[in-house]
Amino acid sequence: MGMDRREFIKWCSLLAVGSMLGGCRKLPFVGDAAKKDLPSFKMFEAEVRRAMSMPSHRMELVRVSMPGRLNRPGASEENRFGMAIDIDACDGCGKCILACIQENNIPLVTEDESAKGRFMHWIEMRGGVPFMCAHCGNAPCERACPTGAANHTPDGLSAMMYKRCTGSRYCGANCPEHARKFNFNDAVQQGLSLKFNDKVPVRSKGVMEKCSLCLHRLQDDRLAVKTAGGVWRGRGVKTACAEACPKKAIVFGNWLDPESPLVKVARRRDLYAPADLAGLDPSIVYMMGGK
Amino acid sequence: MKWSLVALVALLCAFFLADLLMNRVAEPTRRGDGAAVPFVHAMHGDSIGLPCSACHTGAYTTVRAYLPSKADCMDCHRLPLTEGAGIEALDSALSKAPEHPWSKKSSLPEHVVFHHGVHHSAGVACADCHGTGYAKDVYGGERFDMRTCLDCHRGKTFRDKNFKAAVYCAACHR
Repeated sequence: MGMDRREFIKWCSLLAVGSMLGGCRKLPFVGDAAKKDLPSFKMFEAEVRRAMSMPSHRMELVRVSMPGRLNRPGASEENRFGMAIDIDACDGCGKCILACIQENNIPLVTEDESAKGRFMHWIEMRGGVPFMCAHCGNAPCERACPTGAANHTPDGLSAMMYKRCTGSRYCGANCPEHARKFNFNDAVQQGLSLKFNDKVPVRSKGVMEKCSLCLHRLQDDRLAVKTAGGVWRGRGVKTACAEACPKKAIVFGNWLDPESPLVKVARRRDLYAPADLAGLDPSIVYMMGGK
Repeated sequence: MKWSLVALVALLCAFFLADLLMNRVAEPTRRGDGAAVPFVHAMHGDSIGLPCSACHTGAYTTVRAYLPSKADCMDCHRLPLTEGAGIEALDSALSKAPEHPWSKKSSLPEHVVFHHGVHHSAGVACADCHGTGYAKDVYGGERFDMRTCLDCHRGKTFRDKNFKAAVYCAACHR
């Protein structure tokens, strides 16, 4: 074949240019052929039961005062959302965990991880008491995030922007209670994910996640109220866990709204927080005694 | 030399053609047969005093601005509106039209929430984002990205209208 060096290099570079052009577009015929079957709902229930049967240590709780206005620039004067969990009323049934899974499309984990007790659940039982991200006003996880994916909203949510997360996992390491969960698996590809709720995107592999305080519900309510021209105090909203609790032990509300059921209940009770979060101005606290 | 140049040009042409065909922005697709009378915005909008939400239901109050169903068309068209030639063609086209003559899959990613109603309440006109292409029945001309949103939310786009809106991530992202 009569091809000199010059010709050879030319064709090589042509090939390279061609493949580079192709590479910058998503090809239409690359499908999800390798995708596994969808899991059944029973598998989620079984996983919650398994998580509940794992040994856990009781949280060390200390007294805190009622959360107030956020101490950060740009904070809202009207809204700071949070929850109070009534330890006296909670019997540790775990319905909140399942409700949270269904609301937020939380994936299953593999058999290996499950045996080690590493679940993706945003709520876990610690000594029979539900624990989730406390949405600290002074959140140490957000300070460690190199991309700004973990950030705070003016109304007191520690939010996660999944598309910004590059998976450094600094936030997870910097959370004193390790409330954050990392997606080690491509849950959709491995057949570990079921899309229960269209309003919440399924997280991809390599992304950190945690309790969002049902951010999508708050967003929807805010937009609806603002469309109608009202002042938004989040009064129509409840998180999925609070809705599911048969004992009404989880109370969602707005700490800065005296009309909020949260403030009305928490005012008469003694409030507690995990000892290592107490100094970080948590929005989610525990109630005991008082009345 | 000559052949490789031709090949390069052909390759580039093929790429850009494929790009044009596959990477188009979402636009409404029309169902039904080709005999249908094309829809003309100019005859339905301001000219007869109809707001956008008359057909694009929900545009002023809900998340989505929907495309009209046949029932929405028939709200007005069940009565003969004009006399003379042309109306027969319109009537037969309407009677043959499917229940939902148009459909459009939103190109908004699922991690973004965009509420049409709240923007209308804030005083943003439909044409501020959708331009005037619709009046000429040219669809799919808009290309929205986060910069478009942010520029306006920061008050840079329409300085005279004094728009200012939330710019923290979780206002729109979930």
